[in-house]
Amino acid sequence: MYRRAKKQARRKPKRETRRFSAPPQLEPGAPTDLQLMHAIQSQDPEALSQLYDRYNGILKALILRVIHNEAEADDLLQEIFMEIWNQARNFSAQKGKPLGWMVTLARRRAIDGLRKKQAYARAEQRLQSETEQQPDAWVHNATEEEIALSDTRFLIRKVINGLPPAQQQAIDLAFFRGMSQREIAAKTNTPLGTVKTRLELGLKKIYDGLKELKDEL
Amino acid sequence: MNFEQFQNQSRLYVIGALEPEEVEEFEKARKKFGQKAEDFITKCYALHEAFALSLRPAKASAAIKDRLMSMVRERKVS
Repeated sequence: MYRRAKKQARRKPKRETRRFSAPPQLEPGAPTDLQLMHAIQSQDPEALSQLYDRYNGILKALILRVIHNEAEADDLLQEIFMEIWNQARNFSAQKGKPLGWMVTLARRRAIDGLRKKQAYARAEQRLQSETEQQPDAWVHNATEEEIALSDTRFLIRKVINGLPPAQQQAIDLAFFRGMSQREIAAKTNTPLGTVKTRLELGLKKIYDGLKELKDEL
Repeated sequence: MNFEQFQNQSRLYVIGALEPEEVEEFEKARKKFGQKAEDFITKCYALHEAFALSLRPAKASAAIKDRLMSMVRERKVS
């Protein structure tokens, strides 16, 4: 089945399609993420190569968002794909989609790396200035061109950007920096209870917003 | 803890933002709600995917893939 999908992918021309449920637009007949994961579980290097081509940009962006260092991010990206290869047998489709599993793994490794490395202090300083200048860190890269793009990223960011900046900031610090509620409270000079409320409300709005997006598309 | 509270806690749990003292109570509720709780937690992991997809993809160095694939092939041979 996977081999047939590979052949079809080579034969058919590219077509532009945009769907929420399939982040990078696959060529018709291209193997699904799940097919690639099954092939990786059977030790097929070609499947890892395809998965890498499909998701290295997303995972690198996530790692960079955590550790803010290009060279370290590249090294970590390589380690993470090696871990995907080594740990593929632990992936279960019943527990979620391959991308979700890879992102969880990449985030954990990136946050571990951040905590271990001496670069932590430098990244902290950079984060401090970012936080002061732009509490809603998700928004700071938006351009006219991006706003015009009606793709998955734009739709998700629309949901996130709909949150009050303080909620965005709390979620950003928790997800991308791995901070606890207490650490966020200390960092932002905010009472612990307020941080908890911001996280709960913000995550619920994003969760509900994503559900609506899936229903619409 | 009712199920709505459990749902709120689950979203914090999946991003690792529950405080240690909250985790014990969360785990008790998780047992109490059984499969329904597990299904909801699984759904919450979609948040991870969404946060990653909210970022602009970054370009990795071309050498990374070459190194990765040669490591994988070496390991497969040995």
